[in-house]
Amino acid sequence: MAFISSGYNPDKPMEDRITDIGPRHFDEFYPPVIKANKGKWLYHDILEPGVLVHVAESGDEVYTVRAAGARLMSVTHIREICEIADKYCGGFVRWTTRNNIEFMTTTKESAYALKADMESRKFDGGSFKFPVGGTGSGITNIVHTQGWIHCHTPATDASGPVKATMDVLFDEFKNMRMPAHVRVSLACCLNMCGAVHCSDIAILGFHRKPPILDHEYLDKMCEIPLAVAACPTAAIRPSKVEYDGKTVNSVAVKQERCMFCGNCYTMCPSMPLADDEGDGIVLMVGGKVSNRISRPTFSKVVVAFIPNETPRWPTTTSTIKRIVDVYAANANKYERLGEWAERIGWERFFEKCELEFTHHLIDDFRDPAYYTWRHTSQFKF
Amino acid sequence: MAKHATPLLDQLESGPWPSFVSDIKQEAASRAKNVKGVDYQVPADACDDVLGIMELSYVHKRTHWKHGGIVGVFGYGGGVIGRYCDQPEMFPGVAHFHTIRVNQPGGKFYSTAYLNQLCDLWELRGSGLTNMHGSTGDIVFIGTTTPQLEEFFYELTHKIGQDLGGSGSNLRTPSDCIGEARCEYACYDTQALCYAMTQDYQDELHRPAFPYKFKFKFDGCPNCCVASIARSDMSFIGTWRDDIRIDQEAVKAYIGGEFKPNAGAHAGRDWGKFDIQKEVIDLCPTKCMWMDGGKLVIDNRECTRCMHCINVMPRALRIGEDKGLSILVGAKAPILDGAQMGSLLVPFIKVEEPYDEIKEVIENIWDWWMEEGKNRERLGELIKRQGFQKMLEVTGIDPMPQHVQEPRHNPYIFWREDEVPGGWQRDIKEFRKYHQR
Amino acid sequence: MDKEAGKKAIVEFLQKKSKSKSKFYLKDFYEVLPNEKVRDVKNLVNEMVKDETLEYWSSGSTTLIGLKGTGKQAGAEDEA
Repeated sequence: MAFISSGYNPDKPMEDRITDIGPRHFDEFYPPVIKANKGKWLYHDILEPGVLVHVAESGDEVYTVRAAGARLMSVTHIREICEIADKYCGGFVRWTTRNNIEFMTTTKESAYALKADMESRKFDGGSFKFPVGGTGSGITNIVHTQGWIHCHTPATDASGPVKATMDVLFDEFKNMRMPAHVRVSLACCLNMCGAVHCSDIAILGFHRKPPILDHEYLDKMCEIPLAVAACPTAAIRPSKVEYDGKTVNSVAVKQERCMFCGNCYTMCPSMPLADDEGDGIVLMVGGKVSNRISRPTFSKVVVAFIPNETPRWPTTTSTIKRIVDVYAANANKYERLGEWAERIGWERFFEKCELEFTHHLIDDFRDPAYYTWRHTSQFKF
Repeated sequence: MAKHATPLLDQLESGPWPSFVSDIKQEAASRAKNVKGVDYQVPADACDDVLGIMELSYVHKRTHWKHGGIVGVFGYGGGVIGRYCDQPEMFPGVAHFHTIRVNQPGGKFYSTAYLNQLCDLWELRGSGLTNMHGSTGDIVFIGTTTPQLEEFFYELTHKIGQDLGGSGSNLRTPSDCIGEARCEYACYDTQALCYAMTQDYQDELHRPAFPYKFKFKFDGCPNCCVASIARSDMSFIGTWRDDIRIDQEAVKAYIGGEFKPNAGAHAGRDWGKFDIQKEVIDLCPTKCMWMDGGKLVIDNRECTRCMHCINVMPRALRIGEDKGLSILVGAKAPILDGAQMGSLLVPFIKVEEPYDEIKEVIENIWDWWMEEGKNRERLGELIKRQGFQKMLEVTGIDPMPQHVQEPRHNPYIFWREDEVPGGWQRDIKEFRKYHQR
Repeated sequence: MDKEAGKKAIVEFLQKKSKSKSKFYLKDFYEVLPNEKVRDVKNLVNEMVKDETLEYWSSGSTTLIGLKGTGKQAGAEDEA
């Protein structure tokens, strides 16, 4: 490998430097039919799962074929997307907020040809490259975080549990038979760089053990005041520790105060907290972000802990499947998962979904806890 | 032949859902073959080593990555996240494996010419692995070495005319829904406003300016497809203040079954014949609509624009024409004091270039937060700590009932002296004239 | 503001603290120059990064700032 210079001169970093130019202008990337009809769309129809038509005041139509993408994607795969877009869509394509890929064309014929082409493409391992679906009142793609592919504080993987969950929910991605749409999200630790806290179903990685202290190296690798300041619950203090017959500068952790966030590990690599038995998954349900009918709501914790069962997380996926199936069988049309649970009562939700209720599910964290306890004599037996 | 055996990951190749394992293997094979003769600037076997280290995580059930905070491109505080693996001897191809965030274009629309340019650049100077897209919206490039960062940035800006996204205590890369580009519900041009705010606040996006992260998100209507209300410090949600436009003929067509309700969204199950009373009128949260002699009537003054009726009958009902947006502030994920939903600050504002009115709200909020916010305190937490009233004061917005779900539950009003007739300076002697000790 | 005096005060502050701590939040710099507007201090600090006097350290979610090349993280990151 020979180093190829871009033209950048490390001795003069400011020479010819271009900064603060922002993203390219969106206007360059609109397909012609979008550019011509922007702001003048009349209505849309979902022709079948994954295929939409939007009709403009001008009478123009745009057909959209929506396919799932694993958000973790190689350039080889993106180039294949480009080839498809060149062949059918005049060289334009877009992604949705939920990691789906949308191909747009102006005729129904080409939309269906495109769909057939996309569904014929498979990876060598056998999975679909571009399964079409993810529209209407079904279960669309999962938004998620990095997990073990790239993050330093995850309590679970992201891509793996997502793949395993969507394999189990695949029929619902391809259908529109839920009472309302079901949004599933995954964040691999409680910091939630993917904000999953308002999802119908949230899969959340969670650590349960305080950091291990590498006293021998801590003062060499880390600035102790920064590690102390990193802790949101003030559980860390500087401490002199006897190590190998010597007194070394290190830290002490008030373990019962630790909320397992990993912020100290970010500042100080001598405080790792990942653990094969300690780490696993929390399931939260019943959140939503839309203002439709009822207000946006937060997801609630309904399963306090499921171990990380690599490589396919069977307890996690079967629990999710059970919740989805019970919801689908019992909710009214248009009722989101959380609206249904509230209507029947959470006591009934646990019964119907065959979930155990343990003390972990009663909120005891700071002010908001009180507002989640029952303040009425109305409840169900 | 794969460099590392990955028996656990291999089990994620079966099943219908697109397999990231198969895709990484495909990239590893492509780099090994190197048909185009690319002079890879990071190890050619980086993808093999990603699979190897990932397999190790599947065995150990623990991550093998370490954080790095120093790396970045010169003069920018955001856009690059440092990553090092903790088994560099076993997996030298990913010993240094930094992330680069690239500011995605509006609506996530792309031309293939542009995407191919990005792919070529990332194949040469990175691992070839990406996220399309990160949670905030960026194009995320996963895996490159420190010496490649400046080279990547130089080519990104010079050849592709494209900049990085945000990270750290910066304005984070703003993101938007598809909006007017292809949605009849959009109440303003989300892409135009998102682009303008991204450009106007480039300094805040690239260099630390705040006590913590700050997110803008732009939703065209109250359906909130980009979830701005749940996850942005400042959420811009399209709305309107006149009447929902009704096409009575189309209403009849829905009732008569000629039009599929919900734009076909519920077509996968037999829910029975469409019943406008049960499915629309009875579910209206404000009960502001009824049928009168075969015609649908809406008392628009009582409507709170929840979108349900419009979502059910998009060909009959359209958003109003006096359009604008609402600004909600302070949403955040639970860390630390609990999750916060956005709180309504500005009920309605017109969206007109150059957006001075909107920018005034933004900058007033920023001035307050920059001055008063504690380290790592999100805007929502500052609002809680100093009070909603304080925010109204700094933004010069008058209090109104729209600001609250309901009035306060306690009478502990901290009256200011100037609000009480006569002030607080009183004469004890005067008091004692009438009251014995 | 007197930029040079401001820069000097910031460097002195960081050198004085360097024994125990090499990196600070932006807000800590406001206290070094209490009579200046926070926005001006922010701009000055960012300018000092361009001068190569200071450097950023990012946790991903938040940013710290210190004298270039100081602190123990540099060693920990194999980038020293």
